This record gives sequence, structure tokens and C-alpha cells, in this order.
Amino acid sequence: MTLYSVQGLGISIGGTALITGVSFEIAAGQCVALVGESGSGKSLTCLTPFGLSPGIASGSARLLGEELCAADERRLRKIRARDIGFIFQQPLTSLTPHLSIGAQLAEAASQSGTPKPSRRELAAMLERVGIAQADERLDAFPHRLSGGQRQRVMIAAATAHGPKLLIADEPTTALDASLRHEIMALIDEMRVQHGLAVLLVSHDLASVAAHADHIIVMQNGRVVESGPTEAILGAPTQAYTKALIAAAPHLDSPRAPLPEVGGTILEAKDIRVTYPRAGWRRGVLTAVDGATLSIGGGEALAIVGESGSGKSTLGRAIARLGPMASGQTIWRGAELPTRAKMRSADRRLIQPVFQDPLASLDPLWRVADIIAEPLRHLMPDLSRGERDMRVAAALESVELPADFASRTPRSLSGGQAQRVAIARALVAEPEMLLLDEATSALDVLVAAQILALFARLQRERRLSILCITHDLALARQLCHRVAVLDAGKIVETGPSDEVIRTPQHPVTQRLVRASRG
Amino acid sequence: MKAPLIIVGVIVAAALLVPPLLPWGYDVIDWNAVRAEPLTGTHLLGTDNVGRDLLARTLVGTRVTLGVALAAALVSLVIGVAWGAIAGWVGGKTDELMMRIVDALYALPFMFVVILLMVVFGRSILLVFIGIGAVEWLTMARVVRGQVLQLKQRPFIIAAEAAGAPARAIMTGHLLPNVAGVAIAYLLLTVPQVVMVESFLSFLGLGVQEPLTSLGIMIKEGADDMDIAPFALLLPGGILVTLLVCLTLAGEKLRDRFAG
Repeated sequence: MTLYSVQGLGISIGGTALITGVSFEIAAGQCVALVGESGSGKSLTCLTPFGLSPGIASGSARLLGEELCAADERRLRKIRARDIGFIFQQPLTSLTPHLSIGAQLAEAASQSGTPKPSRRELAAMLERVGIAQADERLDAFPHRLSGGQRQRVMIAAATAHGPKLLIADEPTTALDASLRHEIMALIDEMRVQHGLAVLLVSHDLASVAAHADHIIVMQNGRVVESGPTEAILGAPTQAYTKALIAAAPHLDSPRAPLPEVGGTILEAKDIRVTYPRAGWRRGVLTAVDGATLSIGGGEALAIVGESGSGKSTLGRAIARLGPMASGQTIWRGAELPTRAKMRSADRRLIQPVFQDPLASLDPLWRVADIIAEPLRHLMPDLSRGERDMRVAAALESVELPADFASRTPRSLSGGQAQRVAIARALVAEPEMLLLDEATSALDVLVAAQILALFARLQRERRLSILCITHDLALARQLCHRVAVLDAGKIVETGPSDEVIRTPQHPVTQRLVRASRG
Repeated sequence: MKAPLIIVGVIVAAALLVPPLLPWGYDVIDWNAVRAEPLTGTHLLGTDNVGRDLLARTLVGTRVTLGVALAAALVSLVIGVAWGAIAGWVGGKTDELMMRIVDALYALPFMFVVILLMVVFGRSILLVFIGIGAVEWLTMARVVRGQVLQLKQRPFIIAAEAAGAPARAIMTGHLLPNVAGVAIAYLLLTVPQVVMVESFLSFLGLGVQEPLTSLGIMIKEGADDMDIAPFALLLPGGILVTLLVCLTLAGEKLRDRFAG
């Protein structure tokens, strides 16, 4: 029986038509996935019929036979409260920080007018989404929970009032690989056990493949291709769909041969990073506990771990961009000075690229000034003309047109902004790049392009790379060796293919399983 | 945000440009017209209890009040931004110490401090500036510190460090420009607060000296006679309320744009 049916849906904002001609149907217990890059209109498509976006819907969207496009706000609110559950991308911001988990669940459960559930019922809801010690957790506030637990609470809240349709807008994008796996498994379980219909939105075709019955591929507000999952994955007819399928790296997808490795250039010995405990409590928290690693000339080393394992902290400590309690970084036999004492010549060696491309660029600066910043400080002898030439060359090397120099970060897309950040890292000709999850905030297609760019730069410039990531498949594409970090300790190192084929430590095994999907 | 700023602009322009054009100076006494009703003779808005032209006095009073407010707000901007930016950037123990000082100053009844200053050092407009500015910077310091703490975590600041930029260049090139929007918004919100403080001090007789006047003094004098000459209270009162409302509205809009 069809639960939710959309026919010829069009959406416009301020008179501009953004979505045209979207049609699909979901039956109870079925999962339909909307897939496309950012800006393709997939979120707008699933939220607008329910009155949750500024867009105006035309065409037809029927839930249990009732037309939503013509309904007024009051009616829509009733329908949302009774029949629909929503899960959003950011588990951190989707929960109200000042209410306990129990209070939020009770609110969610009684939104359609049913009486407030008892404490036992609330605890049962939490148990159903796999949260241990449910009774205790009811009194906890959102900040006490981890990202994965928060997303579980969101799922519990979204399903507390017994909805018939669950709308999940990028539910796992903000989570690391092994959590993604668990959260998707939980959504599947809810679907099977309670006969929920699920409308799943994602930019990553590969991640929904195992869970959706039907896939709709969207681009620029139009449906490019739609059909049963096997048909779309097995025999895609459109070039865009093929590109999406090819973009996501797999653990066994082919890769170009990696460049040869020279002698050791960097050794990090027994790095420890500690933070003082919050508030007035004594003692310290250890984020990185005695990590030792080395990188050769032209070699790429991946530091892989789950979120919170201390991998970013370790990377920053090595590059002298973060705190460090003790340990040494030795560059070609000489020790790097402490963070405060780094001279220009030392800073030039290692340059970083960060996860969030827009936050990496000062919003008030022009692209040319952003790229020229390292030149001004690290090569102060350059004349203006030489500096401009190097900026132009850096733009060219990241495949951006020269007229980008005068633009501001606001006008750049995520992929373009990341290219600018890479140009800034390259302009002073470093010998090593520190990539801190440099592709994980980007769309699959864009991430694949950026990854290809790194691979090219790695070959052409003999760059060493320290690549921090939670994604083993990505690490394998770029890196000769992998070091797995767990709770601040390196638990396993080895050549990437070997680690992936025969993972020894439980954490590595979990990461490999997650990457296999 | 446009309308409130236009209204403030009109009031400021009138206070600066109109007084020389009027037939009566703000301190000239017209012995023939004491407590004259509005529209009597050449007194467009009447006169006060000793026969001085109310329109001239209101405009000059507005000028003084706004002048004090602007100067005090600028003092608070300079101290507040410097204090907050240093505390936020250096962090750690220094931050703790600097912000505890702010907390301690917050705890003082600041009106009492200003009055004490007046009593000890005598009344002068300069002291009014300094006194008010010295207590109004606390909020600014907290706001700026919060912004700097947030910005410090942003990758572009770390990228600047990796680019070899010294702390001073990061401060002037990245931090302060990005704080400026919020700081200016709070500056606009500080002005009406300072207007209130100045008016209150003048109302108590501790602010501006006769025959110079301010909105606060005029409201006090108007309030004394409000049963016989209500217009002497309504005009300065109306201008003060308009200024406060418009500046607060504009400041809040601006704050929401930058901090929201």
C-alpha cells in the first residue's frame, strides 16, 4: 500500500523554480533514497511538502491519501506531529541543550496530543535505539552524550510518537565511518520492526546502497534517474549516476601506483598531549599518549582512527600547530623548536589543510591575499610582482581560473574554497602537507576531485603527506602506510594494503568493516 | 534598521545646525516671557521657568547629551576591545585573572562609583566622560573576549599561524577585523545606556553645570513644574525616548546580523 506519493512536485522560492517534476512513491516498510550533490534540491524536496522550508510547493504530495501541497500551516503541523518523524544531519544541534534527554523524549512522544509517557516507557524507547543504562541517561543532558548516542536519541525522539513516515536528512554524514554503519543498521531495524516508511536523503550513493529499496538521483532540481537499487547500481544509464558510483573510494577499488619513498625526513618521538580538566578539577586528560611515527621523503602516512581518538591533536602537535606536553619532532635529523619558537624556515616545511573549507578562509580577505599570506611571512624578500606570480601559479596548480584571485570566500563553493586552502598550503613550497580530514566535509564527487588533486600534487612535487582521516578507503588511495590510533595510542601500523587485508587490532577491524559498508 | 538611523540622523543634524539660526541663545533670558506657552512671540516652543527659549535649550541639551554619550562609548570601546581581545587571545591564567577583574567591577554599584568620583574630584564634563566610559566597557570586554575565543578555534587562524604570521599580525589582520562588526553593534547599544546614565546624573544635579544644559537637566526642571508647564517636560523627554528607542533598535539589528 502506498503511504506517501509525490507526483510532479515543483518547488519555488521567491518566484524562482528550484525543483521541477519530482515523482516517487513510498510504501509502508520501504526505504526510498534521494541522492545528489549539495544544491541539487534533495533536502528541499523532502521538507517543503511538510511546510519545513521557505519554498512554495506545487504539484501533488499525498500522505495516506491527504493532499499536503494545498494544506494550511495548522493542518500541516497536525500531520507532522502525528505521522512524520524527522532526523537531521547535526546530532549536536538537533537536540535542545538545556533539556534533559528524558524531557525531550517526553515532548516528542506527546506532540500529537497523547498523554505524557511514564518514565518506564521513556527508558524503553531509549533501550529500543540501543542506549545502555537507559534509565540513567534520561536525566543526562545532550552534551554528556557522544555524537553517535545523540543521533540514537534523535531517532528515538523521531519515532517516539509512532509516526508512519521517517524522513532522515543526511543522518550519518556528521558521524565517523563505524558509527555510520551502526546508525544505518538501527534505522533499518526500526523500518523492519515497526513497518516505518523511510525517506532517506544523502549525498553519498554508496552509503545508501545497502539500505534503500529504491534510489532517486537528483541534480540541479531535477530527477536524473530513478529505479530499484539493484538497477541503479548495476546498470546506471546516466553519466551523472555513473560518476556518483565511481566517486566513492572502495577498499578494493584500483589505485594508481604511489610514488617512491626516499629516506626518512620526519620522526615524531613519544608525542604526548594533555589537557587540563575542565573547571576546578585537578589532573589532566591525556589526548595523545606516547605516539611515535616516521615519514619518508615523498611518503604518505595515514593516521586513522574513530572520532575522539586524538588523531587531529597528534597531527597538530607534530606540525607545531597545537599544544604538546612532551616529545620530539625531528626533521632531517634536527629537532623542531616548540610552537612559540618556530621560525619562518621551520614553518615553511609543513603546511596544513583542514576539514571545513569555508572556516579555513578568513571571510574578510580576498582569495589573492589569503594565498599570499604564507609568502608575506615565510618569504618576506619577494617583491610584489614575484608574489603575484606565485599566487597565480598556485591558483593554476589547484586548477582554479586566474580571475578567482579577486573573489571573496563567501562566493566560493565548498570544493573551490578547499582548492584555495590547498593553494595557500602549497604556495610557499612546503615539503610536507598535513591533511586534517581534508575531504570529509565535501560532497562525494567534489571529494573525489580533491583526492585526485592531492594524488597529482604528490606525484609532481614529491610531497610527503600526513593524512588524518577516519576513512580507510580514502587512506588507501593516497597513503603508503597506515597508523591506527585508538584512545591516543598507536595500536597498529603497516603498509595500507596489508593493514586492510589482515587487520590485527579490534579497532582496525571495526574500521575495515565500516568501510566495506 | 534604516528608519531608526534616519530619525537619529535628523535629531543629530538639528542639534548641530539649528541653534545658531534661532533668534534666542540657549542661555539668554527673555524677561518678558517666563514660562511662555509654545508659539508665543518668537519662542516656537515656549520658555522655561526663567524665560530661556526651550527649543534652543533642548537642541543644545541634546548636543551635550549625545556628545557625552559618544565620547564615553568610544572610551568603553577602546578599553573593552583591548581588554577582551588580550584576555581571549592569551587565554589561560591571564584570561582568568582579567575576567575576574571584570566580574569584580561588575559587582560594584557603578552609579555609586561615578557619584563618588564626582564628589571627590568635583564636577566636570570631562569627569563625566571618564567616569561613565570606565564603567561601561565591561560588557564590551566580555563580548569581545567571547568572539575572540570562538575565532581562535577557527582553522583560518591556525592556518595563519602555519603561514608564519606573528601574533600581532594575526591580531590586527584576522581577529580584530572579524570582531569589528559585533563591537560596533555593541557600541550602538552602549550609547543609549550612557545617555541614560548621563541624564540620571544630571537629574541628580551631578552632571552638566548650568547654564549649559543636557536632556537630563531639562527633564528634571520640566518635572519640577510639570503641573503648570507640561510642555517643558514633554519635548526633552520625547527626544530622549526617541533617541533611546532608535539607537537600541539599530544596535540590536546590527548585533543580530553579526552575532546571530
